Amino acid sequence: MVDTNINYEIEKKKYYKVLLGLLLLTAITFGLPTLFEAGANLPAQMFVAVLKAWLILMYYMHLKGDKLIGLMGIFSLALVLVFFVIVIGFDVANFQFFAESHITSATPTAH
Amino acid sequence: MSHEYVAEIATDRDGKEHVVQGWQDDFYGGKLGFWLFMFTEVMMFGAMFLVLAYYNTLHPTDFINASASLNRWLGGTNTVILLVSALTMGLGLLKMRSGDIKGAKLMIWATIILALLFLGIKAIEWTAEYNHGVFLGLDALQSGNEHSKPFGEILFFGMYFTMTGLHGFHIIIGIGLMLWLMKRINTGKVSPEHHILHWNIALYWDIVHLIWVFVFPYFYMIGAAATVTGGHGGH
Repeated sequence: MVDTNINYEIEKKKYYKVLLGLLLLTAITFGLPTLFEAGANLPAQMFVAVLKAWLILMYYMHLKGDKLIGLMGIFSLALVLVFFVIVIGFDVANFQFFAESHITSATPTAH
Repeated sequence: MSHEYVAEIATDRDGKEHVVQGWQDDFYGGKLGFWLFMFTEVMMFGAMFLVLAYYNTLHPTDFINASASLNRWLGGTNTVILLVSALTMGLGLLKMRSGDIKGAKLMIWATIILALLFLGIKAIEWTAEYNHGVFLGLDALQSGNEHSKPFGEILFFGMYFTMTGLHGFHIIIGIGLMLWLMKRINTGKVSPEHHILHWNIALYWDIVHLIWVFVFPYFYMIGAAATVTGGHGGH
């Protein structure tokens, strides 16, 4: 059994505020290409996506104040980041079979 | 018929009766279990993003060209639709928790309609891409023929159709779950006092939204800078 004693009107306002924030960030997503060159656009887009994800996780998915699930999330995210760093930053950078691989052999920048 | 939990009774060797601990009201356990499931979803899409990022490092120019050819306005419209649907789903849960069952059902129906709208726009988008010869299995996305797109674009579109297709599949599952939720509400098995199913389906809808938050900019927006500056044309 859970506590059903919530104030709908107060909670509803929070939801609308988050929606406003998400719409604003979506508008920024469309504005970014005018500010950044193609190379810098991707990291800028991903940064805005992370901000949107944070709003969704904290308020729509009720992670705010939920320590256990929050810590699990941070741990999982850290694991994913480690894999990204290992795979993209290290393994791919030192890939030994560039010429042999079907995917990489078609790369114009192959080393 | 309302959802009433009847506790089991165990009798010990002395004939004394004891109530067996039931977990039907373990709200936090139900929520935690669903979060574990959602982490598997994150791992699945995370692996796809990993592949996408790898291909992107190999073919950055092809990726920008391919992205520039996608319809950003249809993708953007779908982004707003999902945003609003996350709101309606959340408000539905709030209404359920505050005892307004009729309002909760209305909000779930609104979410279902928005989900169908999302799928309809996706269908229009895919049809347009098919008519332009860009679809899985067509010559443009097969290497080694005269109509082939550059290899990086083939990889981009392969990932695009796979990831947006899998995301669309999650939307369809979500619609099914919401219909099931409606049935459970109508039979009294989900109520303001027992709403863990509603809570978890709302979480599922949020994770579907969350995935789109990353899918949209990676596929639709990375090539936008090229079109804004007039570098590349679309199809």
